[in-house]
Amino acid sequence: MSSAKRQTFFLFFMLFFMMLTGGVAVSAADQHIYDQADLLTEAEESELEALAAEYSQQHESDFLFLTTPSTDGVPVMTYMGDFFDGWAVENGQEDAVLLTIDMGSREVFLAGFGTAETTLDNSRVDMVLDRIMPYMRIGDYGGAFRETVTTASRYMEFRPGANPESIFFKTWFQLAVSLVLGGVIVGSMVLNAGGRVTTTSRTYFDGNNTRVTSERDRFRNKTVTRRRIPKKNNSGGGFGGGGMTGGGRSFSGGGRGF
Amino acid sequence: MVIQYKCPNCGSDMAFDAESGKLSCPNCGRQDNIETFPEENIERKLDPEEAKEYHCENCGAVILTEAETTATHCSFCGAPVVLADRLTGDLAPAKVIPFTISKEEAVAAFREWTKNGRLTPRGFMSGDRIKKMTGMYVPFWLYDIDGTAEVAAIGTRVRNYQRGDTIYTETDFYDVYRAIDLSYLKVPADASEKMDDELMDKLEPYDYRELKDFRMPYLAGFLAEKYDYDDEALFSRVESKIVPYIDSYIHTTISGYSTVSYTNKQIQANKKNVYYTLFPVWMVYYDFENKEHTFAMNGQTGKVVGKPPISGGKVAAWFTGIAASTFVALKAVAYAMGGVLW
Repeated sequence: MSSAKRQTFFLFFMLFFMMLTGGVAVSAADQHIYDQADLLTEAEESELEALAAEYSQQHESDFLFLTTPSTDGVPVMTYMGDFFDGWAVENGQEDAVLLTIDMGSREVFLAGFGTAETTLDNSRVDMVLDRIMPYMRIGDYGGAFRETVTTASRYMEFRPGANPESIFFKTWFQLAVSLVLGGVIVGSMVLNAGGRVTTTSRTYFDGNNTRVTSERDRFRNKTVTRRRIPKKNNSGGGFGGGGMTGGGRSFSGGGRGF
Repeated sequence: MVIQYKCPNCGSDMAFDAESGKLSCPNCGRQDNIETFPEENIERKLDPEEAKEYHCENCGAVILTEAETTATHCSFCGAPVVLADRLTGDLAPAKVIPFTISKEEAVAAFREWTKNGRLTPRGFMSGDRIKKMTGMYVPFWLYDIDGTAEVAAIGTRVRNYQRGDTIYTETDFYDVYRAIDLSYLKVPADASEKMDDELMDKLEPYDYRELKDFRMPYLAGFLAEKYDYDDEALFSRVESKIVPYIDSYIHTTISGYSTVSYTNKQIQANKKNVYYTLFPVWMVYYDFENKEHTFAMNGQTGKVVGKPPISGGKVAAWFTGIAASTFVALKAVAYAMGGVLW
């Protein structure tokens, strides 16, 4: 038995065990929330499950939420990779967005698998993380997942490579540009309706008799100012980027401490 | 003194024809060069009480004029007359630009212009609404201006570079000094009180290649006025007109700096020559919705100026159209780049 298969088997066993003890009454295929650290209330869990199911259907890639009290010393990236290898085999689904919270090391990791690896690339993962960190810090883990689902699904609509937060894509910005342009053009039409001044500074200029008779450009003094380039500062420190799971599935991703 | 130009053929009163640039007879069609027009056909009549009243040579009627008028028509028989004593001595114009656009051309050009009014009400363009069109020689002073400018300024050159994780901004300061000889030729200012300065400024520029030495026959058949303001009185207006030109010239002489701030700027402008000149202007009186709108057309170039009525509905339509199509275009580009509409 290869190590990947062994891990998969272990995960199966664990999930089965959890379902029995936790009394979660949903079938594995339809499950998106794996709250092993028990961070969510029952009501929250069913609400998020419904949300995840709805968005998953729309995007044909599943939004998964995994929490764990501890990874037993395994890096969170490896841990979530192992989890996903198991989940993918079990559900026959390779396209997924997985948010993992490890309460042991207090780290969060967001990854995109399959098609989501390109539609939710590393830079978009980073932007989603920026938006969920406030929820993480105040301990609203359910809110963090809800934000992940809505924001990531919004980002995934954009063509790969485009920056979804670019001001150019904002409707209010496009509207403002249109209104300003309309105002400027029509305003100048109104002003020019009565005829424009078409004389310029050259109209009456006599180039033969206009000249500089004396000029001086003398260096006086010099000032130098220094400015340090601020280091990119991710509070709590970011890590990750994409990678490969033990089962050979590549993914985009990124993590933060909280 | 009243002057009338009699046709050597038939004796009718001749008038200046803008198309040919000659004196032409409305009766028999004869055309004569202004320079070679026979002296014996110029009827001069000295009036004993000349300063007060002029009499038409044809019908004897009193010619009713305003004090500024130098050329007009006899209000009784319509003969073109030139009031010569208002055009001699100090009042003699040095130069004239003759009309090159005839009345028919002016009417056609004005019609064409109203059609281009994208913001004017619909009814404004259609229909025959030109109430009156008057060809008028408007008095201008043309100034040849000589001057000097002396400026002192502080210029900076800014350079940015990076060493390690520090950005250095190096600013070099320079003392800049320029002394400049300035010359501007034939800058016009209208000398008639009646004419709106802004309107007249917008009629510029005129083509000075057509500038001719003044001869009275050019005025026959048109209205003409003499100046209300002399060249001294108008010099400040011309000065204020050319100072922006001078400023922009000074700016072009100081190049290669990131910023320039003037510490001292002294401009002295003197008039070298002045020419009393008559410029051709078609005045258009236009009726629309019980209001008279006045337009002026450059009688040499055909440029039309004046405040047309603005239709609020059309302004709104243009604004909405431009804003909406810009919005659609931006959305289309955003969709092409990002693959998302909203």
